[in-house]
Parts: sequence; C-alpha cells; structure tokens
Amino acid sequence: MNAHSRLCPRWLASVGKRLAWFAAVLLAGGILGGALVRMAPGFGIDERVLDARLTNNSVAELSKVPAEGSNLAIYYWHYLGGLLRGDLGNSISLGRPVRALLAERLGVSLRSLAAGLAMAWVLAFSVALLLEIHRRALWDRALSLAAGVLLCIPAALLALGCLQLGGSPALALAAILFPRFFKYVHSLARNAASAPHVFAAYAFGERGVRIAGLHVVAPALPELLALAGVSVSLAVGATIPVEALCDSPGVGQLVWQAALARDLPVIVNVTLLVTAVTAAANLAADVGRTLREVGS
Amino acid sequence: MRKAAVILLAAVFALSLLADFVAPYSYATQFRDAPNGAASRSHPLGTDALGRDRFSRLLYGARVSLLLAPSAALVSVVLALVIALLAASSGWCERLLLAAADLFLSLPWIFLLLAARALLPLNAPSLAAALVSFGLLGALGWAGPSRVMLAALKQHLGSDFVLLARASGCRGTRLALVHLAPNLIPLVSAQFLIAIPAYLLAEANLGLLGLGVPEPLPSWGSLLRELESVPAMITHPWVLAPAVILILVVACLYWAVSADKHNV
Repeated sequence: MNAHSRLCPRWLASVGKRLAWFAAVLLAGGILGGALVRMAPGFGIDERVLDARLTNNSVAELSKVPAEGSNLAIYYWHYLGGLLRGDLGNSISLGRPVRALLAERLGVSLRSLAAGLAMAWVLAFSVALLLEIHRRALWDRALSLAAGVLLCIPAALLALGCLQLGGSPALALAAILFPRFFKYVHSLARNAASAPHVFAAYAFGERGVRIAGLHVVAPALPELLALAGVSVSLAVGATIPVEALCDSPGVGQLVWQAALARDLPVIVNVTLLVTAVTAAANLAADVGRTLREVGS
Repeated sequence: MRKAAVILLAAVFALSLLADFVAPYSYATQFRDAPNGAASRSHPLGTDALGRDRFSRLLYGARVSLLLAPSAALVSVVLALVIALLAASSGWCERLLLAAADLFLSLPWIFLLLAARALLPLNAPSLAAALVSFGLLGALGWAGPSRVMLAALKQHLGSDFVLLARASGCRGTRLALVHLAPNLIPLVSAQFLIAIPAYLLAEANLGLLGLGVPEPLPSWGSLLRELESVPAMITHPWVLAPAVILILVVACLYWAVSADKHNV
C-alpha cells in the first residue's frame, strides 16, 4: 500500500508534465506556423500585381492593401480568441469558413491515415516477426533490400506509382510507411531475439508464436510504443504528397492548395490541427510507457 | 559494395560539375520544332514538352541538387553542433535547447516548409527560390542531429582527457574547440552524410508537388514532374532517367553512410 501511494504521485506528476508539454507544443506550433508564414518574403503579395494589363498606379494601390494577418501578434491574438469560441476564421482562397472545410475533409484524411497506418504496421510487424521465427537468411536479405530500395524512393514518387497502378491513397501511405516501420521493428526484433533468455526459452522447448509474443515482443514494447507515436507524425507528413497527387479530398490536399494560394488562415489552422494530432499521439505513447514502467 | 557506391557518386558529382562542358545545350535552350521529342543522337534522352534537351537538364539539375543538398546538410550540422556545444555549457541552457529540439521534432515541419516555400515572392528569381528552399531545409533539420551530438558531448565531458584538460586550466571556448569539437568530427560527418539523402528526397517531394526549384532552373525534383503523365512514361520511358539517377544516388549515399557508421 505504501509503495503504491508512493508511486501514484510520481505517475500523476509525469502525466501532468506531459500534458503541460502537450499544451505548450500546441501553442508554440500555432505561433511558429503563423510566424514562419508571416515572415516569408512573399507574404501579403497579391497575385494581381503580376498582371501586365494593370497600370503602375493600380499595382501600387494593390500593394498598399493590407493583407489579413499582416500583424502576426494581432492576428494570433484574434485567432486565439476565435478559437475559444470555435471560430477558425475564413479561407481567403475558397471564401468559406475553415471549420467547415476541415469538417468536410478530416474524415477522408482520418480514414486513409488509419487504413494506411494499420496496413503498414501489420505488414511490418508480421514480416519482422516471421523473419525472426523462421530465420531464413535469403528472405531476410531480400526483404531488407526491398525495404531499403523503397526508402530511396521519394514519398511523392511512391504515391504517384501507387496512383498509376490503381492503388488507393491508403495503399500509397502504407507503401511509404512500411519500409520505415519494418527497418525499425526488424532491428528491435533482432535485438530482442538474440537475448540470452530467448535462447533459454528455445532450449526449454518453447517454439514459434509463444517465443515471439512472450520473449521478443514484450521486452520491446516500450520502443514499439515510442515508434507508434512517431508513426502518426510520419503518416501525417506523408498525407500531403499522397492526397495532392492522388487527388484525394482530404486535409493534406487542402494544405497543399492553401500553400499554393497563400491562404494564411487555412495554413495556421491545419498546422495547429496536425500539431495537435502528432503531439497527442506522442503523449499517448509516453503515457502508455509511463504506465507500463509503473506497472512493472 | 561501398567502393562501387563511392565511384558512382563521384562520377555523378563530376558530371554535374562539368555540366557546362558535357551537356550538349544549355538547360533553357528550346528546340521549338521538337517538343516531346524521342531519344536521338542529338538528344540522348529526348526533349521535354517545351522542347528543351532532357539530358542537358538532367546534368544541370544534378548540379543544383548535388550542390545545394550538401550545403543544406552543412547548415543543419553546423547549427546542430553549435546548439549542442551551447547546451553542454550549462544546465539551464541544456534544458531550454532540449525543449526547443523536442518542439522542432514534434512539429510537422513539412507543413511549415510547404507554407514558407509557397509564400516566396511570385517574381523571385529561380536561383534565389532554390537557395531559400534548401536553406529552409537546412534551418529546420538541426533538432535530430543536435540531440545525438549532445549525447556524445556529455559522454566526452565525463571522460579522462577532458578532466585532464580542465585540471590543466583549459576552460570554455578553448575546451570546446580544441578538445571536444575534434572528437565529434566522425559523428558530425556521419550526421552530414545522413542528412544529404534526406534533403535530396525532400526536394524531390517538393518538386513533384510544384513547390521545389522553379522553372527554368532544373533540379531532380522539378524534372520528376514529367512522371505525372502516364502516356509520356509509356511512350518515352527515358523520362524515368531523373528518377532512376535520384534513387541510385540516394541508395549510394545510404550505402556510404552505413559503411561509415561502423567507423563512428
């Protein structure tokens, strides 16, 4: 009981610290996103100034028009106030509320993200474990080579290849993520499987799935949880080329279009949303690890 | 295997540097009577939709990518080294810089890069836009290497030779520059080599999205845009040349790095 009461505050303090970090990352993510966009040399330039039919006076007048968000501090202050009221502002290029745009597209992105992540994880995990259980050197080399080759191909090119072969955005995401996960899971499984207790388990006559589950996966669980957190960040980063090139109407495509159209409200909101998703995934992984450490 | 990778890298690098002499035409020269031309003696990889010689553009594109990606990697590594040395100097500095590194690693930097790249002036010269793209890559990539370098620095700080240097009155900048930095060179060079293929791939991704090096300056990323058209790929398979060269160079760099890692 005493030991339990001593552990609880440490556990709570650790989770509280991570929650505070999550909130700080969220705020800083939005500010950094907005600041980078605001400080970019082309911020506030109206594309109409390039129109050769306009006179010098018209171009000068257009250049004078203050763009929305020209003062970052004021922009961000108004933005935070709106955020608390659930108002994310309006898209400059699409002329619609950002909230409505995100609501329309979030489902598409989440579905392909979930499917892509699940496919990549299941494939990487099962292939790495099968290689450790059966220990076929030829298969090991062939799969490591295949994963290595996939790592050398730009994510956008892989997405394009999947699209041209008739694959879905989820499949393209899986093709991008699989080699990254496989490389790490394979190395983890290799290290765990070469531990003395695994040889002892083999010597006691234990085989296959039991050894993989109890003696290989279980010790590698903290690292796998960390990888799970990072994998969300990797997947979110990969959605931009996948959705832009596969013409999938998700958030990745929206941010790409917003970047091309210099749409500050959309960019800042999507950056904040994506920061929230990746930070939440890392937070969940960290809390999971903390709970496991406390439990053991 | 490593020797072959290094020879191939050296050959591609030399060809890109000698593009002015090796390339049959300038990267911007247009043959208006031969757009989308097939491979021939005068155009070994055919011509693009604007009638420009694809082989010449590939060589000049290699020069842009292979000069700017290592430059961006150098920016990242130097930034990371300076930040790691600063972080090792005091406890509060370490906490502050580690928090900043954590923040940079948590942020979806591809979003920031995409936004900042898209917000360059509309009339920015091609070379300036290319420099800004790679400069941003370098400036955003310090966090990972700085954590690795800080871990190594802390290990060195507890070693005998640093203790001896301190006992001899060596402090601050002198300790950092004379005793710590030289011991980090193998690690710094490995981080530098790891960053180059990552930046080549990042530029290729931006190029395919239309946010890489702008026309008419070629880069491997911008040359990949031709692959968006399936019929062009089937009738003109040589449009795949930039993709093949890019993948080969990235693979060779990874080979070189994996061999180098064993020496660190």
